[in-house]
Amino acid sequence: MSLKNKRKTNRESDPAGFDGKMQRKLVVLFLLVLLAFVALSYRLFLINRDKGADYKRQVMRQQAASSRVLPFKRGDILDRKGSKLAYSEKVYNLVIDAKMVLSEEGKHIEPTMTAIKRCFPEVDTGEIREYINKNPASRYKVFAKHLDFNEIEPFKELQKEGMETDSSVSKDEAEREMLNGVWFEEDYERKYPGNSLACDVIGFVQGGNTGFFGLEEYYNDVLNGTDGREYGFMNEDYVMEESIKPAVDGYTIVSTIDSNIQSIVEKHIAKFMTTHKDEYRMGAAAENIGVIVMNPNNGEIYAMAGYPSFDLNDPMNMEGVDLTQFIPEGLSSNEIFDIKEEGEEEELPDESENGEASVSSDEVKKPEDPLTAARNKIWRNFCISDSYEPGSVMKPFTVAGALDSGKITGNESYQCNGYLEVGGFQIHCHNRLGDGLLTVQQSIAKSCNVALMDIAFATGKEQWLRYNRTFNFGYKTNIDLSGETNASDLTFDESMGLTDLAVASFGQGFNVTMIQLAAGFSALINGGYYYQPRVVSEIRNAEGAVVEEKSPRIFKQVISESVSAKMRDYLRTVVMSDPHECTGWSARPAGYTEGGKTGTAEKAPRTKNDYLISFIGYVPAEDPEVLCYVVIDTPNTEIQSESTRLATRLNRDIMTEVLPYLNIFPTEPISEEEAEELREKQDEFYENSSFFGLSENMIPGEEASENEEGENTGEDGENVIVIPEEGAVPENGEEEAETEPERDSAGNPIVDNVIQYDPATGYPLDPATGEVLDPYTLQPINPAGGNEYRPEDEAPGDDGGDGEHDA
Amino acid sequence: MKQEKKTRHYTDFSLLFAVIFLLLFGLIMVYSASSYESSLKFNDSAFYLKNQARATALGFVVMIVVSRINYHIWKAPALFIYLSSLILVFLVLTPLGVTKNGARRWLDIGISVQPAEAAKVGVILLFAAYLCKYGQKLTSTGTGLLICLIAAGVPAGMVLFITSNLSSAIIIFGIAAVMIFVCSPRTLPFLFIAALIVGAAALVVYLVMHGIIPEEMSYRMARIRAWLQPEAYASGTGYQTLQSLYSIGAGGIFGKGLGQSTQKLGFVPEAQNDMIFSIICEELGLFGAVAVMFMFVILIWRFVVIANNAPDRYGAFLATGVMAHIAIQVILNIAVVTNTIPNTGITLPFISYGGTSVLFLLFEIGLVLSVSRSIEV
Repeated sequence: MSLKNKRKTNRESDPAGFDGKMQRKLVVLFLLVLLAFVALSYRLFLINRDKGADYKRQVMRQQAASSRVLPFKRGDILDRKGSKLAYSEKVYNLVIDAKMVLSEEGKHIEPTMTAIKRCFPEVDTGEIREYINKNPASRYKVFAKHLDFNEIEPFKELQKEGMETDSSVSKDEAEREMLNGVWFEEDYERKYPGNSLACDVIGFVQGGNTGFFGLEEYYNDVLNGTDGREYGFMNEDYVMEESIKPAVDGYTIVSTIDSNIQSIVEKHIAKFMTTHKDEYRMGAAAENIGVIVMNPNNGEIYAMAGYPSFDLNDPMNMEGVDLTQFIPEGLSSNEIFDIKEEGEEEELPDESENGEASVSSDEVKKPEDPLTAARNKIWRNFCISDSYEPGSVMKPFTVAGALDSGKITGNESYQCNGYLEVGGFQIHCHNRLGDGLLTVQQSIAKSCNVALMDIAFATGKEQWLRYNRTFNFGYKTNIDLSGETNASDLTFDESMGLTDLAVASFGQGFNVTMIQLAAGFSALINGGYYYQPRVVSEIRNAEGAVVEEKSPRIFKQVISESVSAKMRDYLRTVVMSDPHECTGWSARPAGYTEGGKTGTAEKAPRTKNDYLISFIGYVPAEDPEVLCYVVIDTPNTEIQSESTRLATRLNRDIMTEVLPYLNIFPTEPISEEEAEELREKQDEFYENSSFFGLSENMIPGEEASENEEGENTGEDGENVIVIPEEGAVPENGEEEAETEPERDSAGNPIVDNVIQYDPATGYPLDPATGEVLDPYTLQPINPAGGNEYRPEDEAPGDDGGDGEHDA
Repeated sequence: MKQEKKTRHYTDFSLLFAVIFLLLFGLIMVYSASSYESSLKFNDSAFYLKNQARATALGFVVMIVVSRINYHIWKAPALFIYLSSLILVFLVLTPLGVTKNGARRWLDIGISVQPAEAAKVGVILLFAAYLCKYGQKLTSTGTGLLICLIAAGVPAGMVLFITSNLSSAIIIFGIAAVMIFVCSPRTLPFLFIAALIVGAAALVVYLVMHGIIPEEMSYRMARIRAWLQPEAYASGTGYQTLQSLYSIGAGGIFGKGLGQSTQKLGFVPEAQNDMIFSIICEELGLFGAVAVMFMFVILIWRFVVIANNAPDRYGAFLATGVMAHIAIQVILNIAVVTNTIPNTGITLPFISYGGTSVLFLLFEIGLVLSVSRSIEV
């Protein structure tokens, strides 16, 4: 109609172009559009600014659906012969991808469910259906765990068939036709072929790859590797390509443990526990029992065991484990509980101010679930985690300290009148009648408290303490097992008084752990070299190449070679003397020479008359090759202080089997009775096929009871057995004559045994075979002078109880 | 039909350039966004690209031809074209109709076409012709407005109810509204109606937000809820929106680079279609997205210039209608992708995959080019 600006007039019947208002409106509209674009741009900017990082992460996460973790394989634990104590086996988890199952209008549901039902009858398909209906977007849900390859193979076949049935459609299509949304995730399951074998040493694994207790915990990081990852991505042609960063498998550790020796030890412990169950009172044969077998010359542990054992493959399951001493009556063991972190070390505050009251490692009673407490107690390794008063096995340490510091020469004599008055207390010897006049050697052999107190007084507090520390009491041995305690709170320090020193001389009033004592004792007899005890000798990578070799580590020389030699002399007499003259004769395995020391420690509280009996012995007596330490806490006998023989017998039984296995040959004549006993045992070994035919899967302890009855009934009646065994002794005494005069520096009379010599060479003869023996271990010598022992002492074979001191 | 004076003719090269740029860019993006899916589905990563390229080539020819034809030839058959497009929409109900992605929106006549696109062109042609003729009467009287309302409402309603295509209905209605608004000498009533519509929409949103409208009312309500909280409906209604937002966020300022989108690998549904703008954002970033919007601004600006300079009102209305169509559709599409409005299936002109859409759009561009040719310089 009206004005049009830049336009030339060129219009006819039609109204001319837009009038001014229309043009303005149009421009306004354009501005509105512009505004909208600006607003949308700003919106884009806001999304990026506020949520950009979050959304980027979301996108990454979505992509991660095409990447999966490749689990590493935890390293094996091998014994010293290379057989597997623990290994990880590849298993598969059945994973349901609900989104995939439900895709394409749900046509996969039925075939998939049918196939699952057919191949995995234990899987509840109803549950799966319910799950995928409730969570249609779920991409990952595990419905069956730890299937082995054979179990999943049929299903995998079906999946493959589904892909091949219809060749007209593409591979992808056909796969979608059939089974969809099921895949198998790789995982590893920890297996312990020995079940309960060496359970305290090995420890177990929970939650996949976290070790608890023992080697599994201590070497957790070494055994674990690094997870790998498989990434799927599209290349330029949009083909799914896979990039794999392989998992790094964990290292394998080679243990110093010998499965066979460990089995022997566990078998005898189990036998002991069965034989002496309910013997005096209803209940277990002992509150606790621990055995360490090791090489005193390099600190390698051959075997380490406690009681009761548990199945490493199912550590939570306490069925079949003797819980009687751990669980109050009327409690079921079905409760579920959490795993505790470490074996906690419960230690009571030191209350042994004047040696009056001592300390024990009894568990502090916490208001915790009794089953949990019981399990923790069963899982923990008694040999390294529990401390106790050692008793007379400490006596050699007291003597060694006195000799090495020069405070005594070894030529002294001590008069025992049955007690010594210290600080106003009469501290009694186990033999209240008194042992009479004793040499240093005899005081060890007879385990005389009075003489030892005198020696400790001669040594003095400072020196005694110094040697106590030198032998590493109060410190961790740093054995490579988790859960070791140092018991440092429970050892004496500078504040110790005269009474403390008196009782400490025979191992009362302070605590040690088994591993501390065994490691210290090794140093005592091996020439004075303190080796760090250890359980692992080598670390290998997954390919088998040695990554780290753990050679023996000498920490220090604790005593001189000559003192150590003298100690071997003394300790030899503990076992090798006339039964009337020594406390440990019953520990000797037939055909061998053994040195060692008994211990009968009175437990706190003293009023209960509970004892911890022990024996530490080594073979051969002259040149120790293997050491065995046996601790029996509170044996189930009427007079515990008279039961030390239980420990020496256990030691002998173990040694009898272990020595031939370690190719340590007998050097001594074997008496008729001993031969008879050995034959019996051998039959038993064969019958159980647990000696030579040890397999990885043997379950120690099951065969314990039946065949043993005869022997044990004979042994247990202490009074009964004295007579027949006594008969055997003189015969031994005549035959065995073997001493080392150059070690007998004091010139003290010692027990002489007679052995047979080869007249031509002068070398000793093997009593069994008549062969000439290696002079390195057995030097031919002349029989030394006569005995000066008084035949009055303690009942043969029974260790005198220590620590009886009246307040 | 009017005679063209054979003077020097003006060809709007800015417009042409913007269109060609958008078309080529669209082809690149369609290929980028679709190749993964199409290689999975058809074993041919260029399947969508080829279809789109064919439609684009055809459309380009149509555009050139139409731009050479005097646009006044469309004036007389406007009503006929309009009614024909309505019949096409109606035909969806017959066996000729095709259901894709759960919606019956296509006609299979040798090739499958979306009649809603034809309806948009029909409305533009009809309103241009009749506003030109009876402009004052139609836009300033109540009866006139009522007639306009019916003329726009019928196709919009048919598209909405027959093909369940809300977005196309909105566009059809929007085109008509813009053309009427420009034509009408009055402004206030339109502002009032616009305010009314915004208010009504706000009320619905408010009701949905506070759960006053029951959840199971309809799927559109569900979309509104998903719009308000896409995370809460991540596995269902909100999935597409959320994935689109993820893409935008993942792109950042400069994007991952052309072809580098990961969201197109099966995560963003309709990546080559309604959601192609999110892939642009992911690959080219904020920068690329703004650049694309800028191209559309140029395009729309050219329409405004052509409309305001058209030698006659008919040509001016044609340009206005096309402008309204493209502007509304672009804004709605980007608003959906950025979750500024509830999700409704709408394509990005020239860029999204869709043969019918590009064909009719290029027809419209041809019309505008024809108008521009008649501008004397």
